[in-house]
Amino acid sequence: MKRFIAILLVALLCVTAIWATAVKEEVPDHGEKPELTKLKVWYSISGANGKFFEGQAAASDEAHPEIELELTYTGSYADSATKISAAKLSGDAPDVIVTAASQLYTGEDGNFAMEEDVKDPEFNFSDIQSGVLEYAKYYGRLAALPFGISTQVVYYNKDLVKAAGLDLEANPPKTWAEFMKVAKAVQKASAEGTWGFDTSDGVWLVKSMLSQNNNAVVELKDGKITPVFDNASGVEVANFWKNFIDEGVMPVGQHDNAEKKFLAGGLAFIAATSNRITRWPGSTTFEIGAIEMPGFKKQAVALGGSTITILATDYWKHDAAWALVKNVINTENQTAFAMTSGYLPIRKSSLELPEVASYIADSELYSVATKQLSYAWAFTHFAEMGSMDSFFWYALDDIEHGTKTPEESFKNAAAMVAKEIE
Amino acid sequence: MRKPDNINRKIILGRIYETQQLSAAVVFLVPVLIAVVMLFIIPVLQVVGYSFTSFNMNTGKGSWVGLSNFKYLIEDELFWKSLRNTVCFAGLKLVFDTLLALVIALMLDTRLPLRKYLRSSFFAPVVVPMVASSLIWIWFFDPGVGPFNQILNFLGLPSLQWLYSEKTSLASILLFSIWKGVGYNVMLFLTGLQNIPDSYLEAAKVDGATSWQSLIHIKLPLLRPIMNFVVMIGIINTFKVFAEINVMTPKGGPLYSTALAVNYIYEQAFTRGKMGRGCAAAICLFIIIFILTQIQARMNASKTVDYD
Amino acid sequence: MKKIKSLKKINWAAFIILMIGSLAMIFPFAWMILSSFKTVADVYTYPPKWIPSSWKLDNYAKVFDMIPFGRYYLNSIYTSLMQTLLQLALSICGAYAIVFLDFPGRRKLVTLIRSTMFVPMVVTLVPLYLIVSKLKGVDTYAGIILPQVFSAFTIFLLVSFFTSIPKDLCDSAKLDGCGCYRILWNVVLPNAKASISTAALFAFLGHWKSYTWPLIITNKDKYRTLPIGMKYLVQESSSEYQVMMAAAVMAIVPVLIVFVLFEKQLVKSITLTGMKS
Repeated sequence: MKRFIAILLVALLCVTAIWATAVKEEVPDHGEKPELTKLKVWYSISGANGKFFEGQAAASDEAHPEIELELTYTGSYADSATKISAAKLSGDAPDVIVTAASQLYTGEDGNFAMEEDVKDPEFNFSDIQSGVLEYAKYYGRLAALPFGISTQVVYYNKDLVKAAGLDLEANPPKTWAEFMKVAKAVQKASAEGTWGFDTSDGVWLVKSMLSQNNNAVVELKDGKITPVFDNASGVEVANFWKNFIDEGVMPVGQHDNAEKKFLAGGLAFIAATSNRITRWPGSTTFEIGAIEMPGFKKQAVALGGSTITILATDYWKHDAAWALVKNVINTENQTAFAMTSGYLPIRKSSLELPEVASYIADSELYSVATKQLSYAWAFTHFAEMGSMDSFFWYALDDIEHGTKTPEESFKNAAAMVAKEIE
Repeated sequence: MRKPDNINRKIILGRIYETQQLSAAVVFLVPVLIAVVMLFIIPVLQVVGYSFTSFNMNTGKGSWVGLSNFKYLIEDELFWKSLRNTVCFAGLKLVFDTLLALVIALMLDTRLPLRKYLRSSFFAPVVVPMVASSLIWIWFFDPGVGPFNQILNFLGLPSLQWLYSEKTSLASILLFSIWKGVGYNVMLFLTGLQNIPDSYLEAAKVDGATSWQSLIHIKLPLLRPIMNFVVMIGIINTFKVFAEINVMTPKGGPLYSTALAVNYIYEQAFTRGKMGRGCAAAICLFIIIFILTQIQARMNASKTVDYD
Repeated sequence: MKKIKSLKKINWAAFIILMIGSLAMIFPFAWMILSSFKTVADVYTYPPKWIPSSWKLDNYAKVFDMIPFGRYYLNSIYTSLMQTLLQLALSICGAYAIVFLDFPGRRKLVTLIRSTMFVPMVVTLVPLYLIVSKLKGVDTYAGIILPQVFSAFTIFLLVSFFTSIPKDLCDSAKLDGCGCYRILWNVVLPNAKASISTAALFAFLGHWKSYTWPLIITNKDKYRTLPIGMKYLVQESSSEYQVMMAAAVMAIVPVLIVFVLFEKQLVKSITLTGMKS
């Protein structure tokens, strides 16, 4: 009898213990919600756009008195990257960051909390355009959200084009081969020393071109990244790049000077970021037009710009940060930000708002930019992508200067990327 | 026998020291030593340590990789390019900064009106902030709207691409660097020249020496200590050149023609996050500077001139 | 008679060459000042205009619009002053010990200090940053100031000044029974006042320009210094040369003014380093 009671007691104890722990798992204990949650927000959006973002964040701050925001502008993408890395190393990382490839900083720690966060019904996740979403992923998983998104737009000097007797609104070039002819024609008809085409960011343009030629730049297989831009379709793009130089349409190695040249009227076509849409009109003596970017086998534009992500892992901080992010990316706020800054709206619902529709109808430049959104694309983001950009830059330099053949430069760049990854 | 005095003495390592001086030395030198240890010794040791690891700035993780960072450097054509650029740049800058300054100083040492103004005008670029001056020169070098090409065209010469061509980019930065730095050496040489007693030069004239001969046999030998200082400081400073390259040609210039060793280190360590590799490159640079200054010191020691 | 003689002795060839040279030296400053008044149109015409079409202060206003220039200026002044003061204190102590005190390892210490001059800042940047941030020094004035307090150059500068103080002054003080501290306070410092002030000036100018360290140790606008502010301006206004010029004027002109006022002393200080190295 005694033994039976003993066994029963032990069994009861075990069951209680198991039940207690099971119950504990169901109700996670995060402690009490603190009275005031302070969040450090670092962003690399410059100038007036940065101030606009600060205004939006501040509005969110006021709506939530239990959250206190500390906003800091941390400079260019490159400078911000250095600061964020350094801060993480010293244990002093910010809670929310808005910068290019911000998903690197959560993804590399295996922090894919964003995948869970977006399930919040208030967020309306499906409203976000799918191509744009790829831009916020890391090794294929969501680790951030798109924020200040841009694509390159091919702007042109309307006066020069008109003088060459062309009407691009009626008859825009659809492929790069056609575009080459158009650029050459305009260049010939213009004053001595005018160039046909250039870009302020060659690396960005090359990525678009690779995608247009059905090349994915890099491939993710079994968690490992391999560069694929040095295979046949990639080399075709490299060869075409050389054509620009050979045909005398693009100057050698002057990309950093391209914008100034365009503004001064010495360049007919320029591929530059869409956020110039709000900056350029009015600062030139000529009218600026835009065409959709020409393609190869298909149309595609690589995405650029910044993403927003939450680094804070503390439950209440993360909660507060998500409230901020949710607010800043809702239809109303994100649209307002996009329209004032020249960045693009990330939500499908934005495009249906009346003010956006009328803005698109009024502005030729913005309508081109938003049209391109439907075929916007991002390659698989990975840890060494920053270095890959440097290698692309060197490869383009080599191609333009003729120090390596296009095939050699791309193969060399791919080898360097592979070296960087191992 | 020495007179007894009130000074306490102590013998350390076979030499006699006054205790009061020893205790004062400790007091005065403790802050200096702390500074040197914390700001130099510890960081340098850490850098040496990191250079054998794969420490990554972005992830904060790293593991021992032995000499593979150094192996990467040896195989990286960009590293060699940056070293070549550094040697080129350093050599040319040293030659121009020294010789040009010497010539200017010699000219300034003669009878001239407005001497004070001329002297100041050469020194003014030295004191002004680097970043601000770089901005001015970026505009100067602009191939389209910059005044330099305008001046060239005015003189009937063709325009140059300045910072945008691999042939002229390093030379452009060199030009800026010389403008900024030559005045410092001019001052040094000038004071040296003015310190040469007039009696020497008078005596030489009486002996029938031409000004060329007094230059070679009196002025130059007496300037030797300053020359050594100028060259040594020149070597050290050229290897520290960073800001102007970073501001004017942030990506290393066309075909990586303006990236110096320091820029390479910065790019590896900060832009690419490969701290381990950056440290390995830093160690290489350090060794090179050390060897060069040792060579210069040896050459220096073998020829000294006494003058009193 | 004497006047004619001295006129003949003037080296006219050198004068002309030097005048051309000095114009080349001064030209960038003149360009900078003129351009700070230009408009966008003035900048982008070809051939470039040298004289602005109007003399408005628009660009200056724009600089303040784009970045909190005033704040950066004040930060620069404060950090440069503090760094200079602390650096002087440190260097005076060090130089005094090296020159006037005899202690074991004196030569080795000099070599050690000299060798710190070989280390470029980029090399020690990250380890220093990690140390300072562990001590919670990021985005603080202390974090900006303290790591820049050591300068081998200033120490050696003061060493050369101190060695030129006549030995008999110290000896007579010693005979009077003065201890080491007294000697520093009563003999060395009063006699080296001029030299210390020149060393201070030099240190101040050096700190005013410092770029790499403040760049990495400050994140908040509140603490940024002028050179970094200038860099941000370049990024903001990459095509607006004329605004950059306005900012450059505000950064450079005060330095030039200080230079003109204190030129004699500055010259003295560098030459003494060169002589007694």
